[in-house]
Amino acid sequence: MHIPDGFLSPQTYLPAWGLAGVAWAWAGRGLARRLDETLVPRLAMLTALAYALGLVMLPLPGGTSGHALGVAVLALVFGVRLAFLAYSGVLLLQALLFGAGGITALGVNALALGLVGALVAVAVRRLFAVAGDTVAVALAAFISLQVSALLVALLLGIQPAIARREDGTPLFFPLGPEITVPAVLLPHLLIGIGEAALTVFVWRHARRKGWVSA
Amino acid sequence: MNRAQVWLLLYLVAVVGITFVHQAGWLAAGLGLALLAAGPARWRLLTRAVLALLLFNVSVSLAYALVAWWQARPVADVLLLMNLRVLLLVFLGFWLVDRIKLLEALAGWPLLAMIATLAIGQVAVYRRLLDDFRLAFRSRNPVSPTPVDLLRHAGAQGGALLDKSLHSADQVAQAMRSRGAFDA
Repeated sequence: MHIPDGFLSPQTYLPAWGLAGVAWAWAGRGLARRLDETLVPRLAMLTALAYALGLVMLPLPGGTSGHALGVAVLALVFGVRLAFLAYSGVLLLQALLFGAGGITALGVNALALGLVGALVAVAVRRLFAVAGDTVAVALAAFISLQVSALLVALLLGIQPAIARREDGTPLFFPLGPEITVPAVLLPHLLIGIGEAALTVFVWRHARRKGWVSA
Repeated sequence: MNRAQVWLLLYLVAVVGITFVHQAGWLAAGLGLALLAAGPARWRLLTRAVLALLLFNVSVSLAYALVAWWQARPVADVLLLMNLRVLLLVFLGFWLVDRIKLLEALAGWPLLAMIATLAIGQVAVYRRLLDDFRLAFRSRNPVSPTPVDLLRHAGAQGGALLDKSLHSADQVAQAMRSRGAFDA
């Protein structure tokens, strides 16, 4: 669902880059000490999984694309900071190697999908911990995807209002939130089921391997 | 600053600059200039860029055309501006990656470079493993597999894929360890 280059106005992507810069600095602090030969292979494996998931896209007429993210599983296994950094790397590679997403939109995509997605996943899992691990993990993946999708849809949908000519002609993404929100959210309700199933599968694998505690 | 980083910087300045241009004529001129400067690779890169954005831009363009027609608003100017801008930005991205080594450009950010190195390595491992599994599955099923067979195979394949991928990443990490990548 990440936003391509050219769809966002500078009024949106420049502040987002600033915010993302602060968030990257926060996420990267002290990280070098955490990364070792045990953590790095696991991180590489799940980062590559997120990369692969992001490339299986379905075009959505009213708002870019639909796909699973893999952010929730990164966040649940490695925590918010590492998930955010790893997913930012995924977005950068996808933008440069495949033209999926973009450099100007990187800050917005990293914040909406990487940071918010990871935060929501961790929070929802904690909130529903009493319902059992499988339910909590599935809900975490499903809800984090929906929140990220909603954010992306809203950011796209406000473009005609904040960047337009004097006669009202849009200069960037031309469709309003009344179209982008249902166009992005409805397919992601279905995609979210797949994301939840995949997250539970990988989470169980991680637990069997002892990477995470129950 | 190495050559790749200079190109990366120029690219970043260009993409930001392009988003401040709101005349289709200037964007078309920019695309023309970029095509000229890209040399013999220009048509390959242009084809790649068009294919990368075709599905998404066509779907968004059609949706907007429908809404604008319904509301009797101008269509052509908006779509020309948006599509030219996106095409130019995607073309510049592909041109950059074609000209430089990405990991060389990321050399100034060790953490990012490390994550990118590992992810690129893992992507290659995934691709090879998936091909191996697909061919093996096909050779074991002379007749079309049932949906249950497919589901069972997908589950087994997923688990094995994670194990093999982890093993490969572990080897890379050990190689990095021996070269001092994790030394403080």
